[in-house]
Amino acid sequence: MQSLKVTDISGFLDPVARPWNGIAAERVDMMPSPLGLQPNDYIIASWEERPYGELEVLSAASVHDGQRIAVRLVWEKDKPSAGAGEGFPDAAAIAFPVRGDPLLMQMGSADAPIHALQWRARGNETRSVNAEGIGSSKPGPDVAAAGKGGWSGGNWHVVMTRNLAVPQGGAVLVSGHATRIGFAVWNGHNEERAGIKAVSLDWIDLELEA
Amino acid sequence: MSDRQVAMVIDLNKCIGCQTCTIACKTMWTSKEGMEGMWWNTVSTAPGEGTPKGWEQMGGGFRDGKAQPGRLPKQSEFGDPWEFNYEETLFGGDPHATLKPSGGDPDWGTNWDEDVGGGEYPNSFFFYIPRICNHCTKPACMEACPRGAIFKRDEDGIVLINEDHCRGFRFCQEACPYKEIYYNAVTGKSQKCLFCLPRMEEGVATACSRQCPGRVRFLGFLDDEDGPIHKLVYDHKVALPLHPEYETEPNVFYIPPLAPPSFDAEGNPTEEDRIPITYLMSLFGGEVVEALETLKAEKAARKRGEPSELMDTLISRNWVDLFGPFNKSPKDIEAMRLMEGGQLGTAQ
Repeated sequence: MQSLKVTDISGFLDPVARPWNGIAAERVDMMPSPLGLQPNDYIIASWEERPYGELEVLSAASVHDGQRIAVRLVWEKDKPSAGAGEGFPDAAAIAFPVRGDPLLMQMGSADAPIHALQWRARGNETRSVNAEGIGSSKPGPDVAAAGKGGWSGGNWHVVMTRNLAVPQGGAVLVSGHATRIGFAVWNGHNEERAGIKAVSLDWIDLELEA
Repeated sequence: MSDRQVAMVIDLNKCIGCQTCTIACKTMWTSKEGMEGMWWNTVSTAPGEGTPKGWEQMGGGFRDGKAQPGRLPKQSEFGDPWEFNYEETLFGGDPHATLKPSGGDPDWGTNWDEDVGGGEYPNSFFFYIPRICNHCTKPACMEACPRGAIFKRDEDGIVLINEDHCRGFRFCQEACPYKEIYYNAVTGKSQKCLFCLPRMEEGVATACSRQCPGRVRFLGFLDDEDGPIHKLVYDHKVALPLHPEYETEPNVFYIPPLAPPSFDAEGNPTEEDRIPITYLMSLFGGEVVEALETLKAEKAARKRGEPSELMDTLISRNWVDLFGPFNKSPKDIEAMRLMEGGQLGTAQ
């Protein structure tokens, strides 16, 4: 997957903005996160006979302008779950390795953490998250995370953006260099939250065009 | 497992279902936005569906040590918070206006099945079960949280939710077999009974205990051999946890209810229990049989004029003896005075 260099990213902050039509999207295969990797026996027991993470494919595209990166995700959802009241929100995340060779499925480790942006339909907000293993996620560094999602025509369209250069603890992205990216999607109607989600099979190479 | 454990014993023979405990708790802890539908203390009529409706069929807890799936209770099963037309009724000028909840006729709420009870006349029966978080020795909520946001304090065994870590995932709510955890849709956090931690730390009993007009609730450390809790739970073995089969080892215990005998067709008392022992066993386990025998025997002894430490403890002539070491008045605690009118309210 490539993040194309554009002169100004501001035209790409809206997930249905016209400029996205000219950006080639990658088809990402998704699967349920492994049940055996859930952080406790309760979650395993309560989901072992219950389907989750049924989203099979996600469309991902990206641009950057040397200062900020934007990643646009599109996935099918017959109706949106905003997570109002007692409901659980639809949500999506993009993850990057901070250092070392973290296992995406295991949400990294102390030696090889991962850094993610998570967008949630509840409040239409995007936050920065660090993880050093299953169930360890905590607020991440300030990367000027922003995002916007909109649902139309049976699809969620979500854009998440952040700075390329980030404080310690974040995943540094450099124009002209390659890194890796991972994806997760939560179906709020199915009460999916935490580790109960659809995930990309593994890291996908992401090259930031020079 | 904590180093020490505070516990509560609730005497069901003395509870009159007045809900003073419920309101004491509500005023002190759950009057903020998003907490309108929360009742960290409830008093429901038994037999009945309870709060939330049908909670005993919602799963959670453990079986043979293995975590059991539970169902997420809905706010409507606790009972939606009702707004009443006070303005119209009190100041609207219509002398025929009556108080009505807004939003149509509600069909459930805490203690909705009040006094419905069980049995057939003349052998009908009911009793009340006050409930709070059981601050379990093995909290299913704590084990279910993927965030590690729930912890049990070493010094007193009180189970708390760290709202800074909580993300509102509500696995705790599913896993708690007593369904004693609530979700705040405004803050997106789970919340529950704190065992009045700020009061307890100052030696003041929980609001539900101290405000109880019936002297129903005993407090203390489980390992305090001179305190009422140890006497009732371990020495006399008359205080039992609710639904021990959930295997969470609750630290709220109940003195099971005695009842008058059944009557036969001619209205004469019989040897038959009015409250079916099978029903009480379904609530408190098999040990309830012996507990009731002990209570009956000690009651009879006292009636004959013989001494009974158990009856003296249960009668609790000296009010503050109920509270073990937590017998201070909030009036005497400077910190409490400073907080008066603030979050801690003014419950005495």
